[in-house]
Amino acid sequence: MNVETADMNTELMVDGNAIAGELEQIFGHDMTMAVARCAGCAADSMMATLMAFVRGPGAVLRCPSCTSVIARIVETPTATYLDARGMLYLRMTHAS
Amino acid sequence: MAALEWQLGTVTTIQPETPKTKSFYVALPKWAGHRPGQHIDLRLTAPDGYQTQRSYSIASPPELSGQLELTVDLIQDGEVSPYLHDVVMQGDQLELRGPVGGYFVWDVTVGGPLLLVGGGSGVVPLMAMLRHRAAQHSTIPARLLYSCRTPDDVIYRDELNQLAGSVAGLEVLITFTRQAPAGWTGYQRRIDAAMLNEVITPFGTSARTYVCGPTLLVESVANLLVGMGLPADRVHTERFGPTGS
Repeated sequence: MNVETADMNTELMVDGNAIAGELEQIFGHDMTMAVARCAGCAADSMMATLMAFVRGPGAVLRCPSCTSVIARIVETPTATYLDARGMLYLRMTHAS
Repeated sequence: MAALEWQLGTVTTIQPETPKTKSFYVALPKWAGHRPGQHIDLRLTAPDGYQTQRSYSIASPPELSGQLELTVDLIQDGEVSPYLHDVVMQGDQLELRGPVGGYFVWDVTVGGPLLLVGGGSGVVPLMAMLRHRAAQHSTIPARLLYSCRTPDDVIYRDELNQLAGSVAGLEVLITFTRQAPAGWTGYQRRIDAAMLNEVITPFGTSARTYVCGPTLLVESVANLLVGMGLPADRVHTERFGPTGS
């Protein structure tokens, strides 16, 4: 851990780019530019820009504006769980 | 669209870049190509079936076909990078999938001017962009601002020097945050508002910016760029998490 930072959570945080593979596995195409609207503050964020905490048993995505949990993804040996109740919607632009 | 599938690649070359960074060239017979800035997921499986994976940026440009270059920082208490650094040998197989990501991507069709800001191994996806730009003989104005702790930490140092001296419209600016080489006249501090302002001035707020590195550096630089008036959709960010030491 970087001694110049005191906050381990911030230090270990990455962003939605880090789970692009998992998201593509679930949705079948790249999701990094899909826009999620936060159920907490209604801010729109591309999935790539969500705060991501990936060092736990699953991944937690948080809103960069208000830090509310937007989604959680857990992979078990037999199934993938996606809890997306922290988003009002997900906007996926049609491929041109 | 085809599902993202795990595929096996063979390590053809391992090249030390710095005391704690190595590049791995992986031959991939089934690779479908990538865009500069994309990454791969690499998965390790233990004999007992335990699996763990990490994502690594692709350092090579799309123009290098049939193989990928992955440049990996050694994280001392990491789970995957010590295996790659200390155990993997030429000829070994690695399991990976990709390319993944479409947000942190730049190619010549995106246009410029292009401002790349990297910290530590955050330079890796930016290098794929610069190598692609050079391979396409693009003259899109480009600047790389690269933050390193010491001269030993500069990844791709010789190639960056060579590119900066031979390719039109490219400037490479390095800032050393702990120790600069003797006689260094360039930047010697962390990236701050004054430095970003100097670096972006020739491009103004039309710059397309890509910022990659440790989370705290990316947060700080992205906030400064937006504060300087850049539209948020021109500030692309990728956070690597903790630094390697």
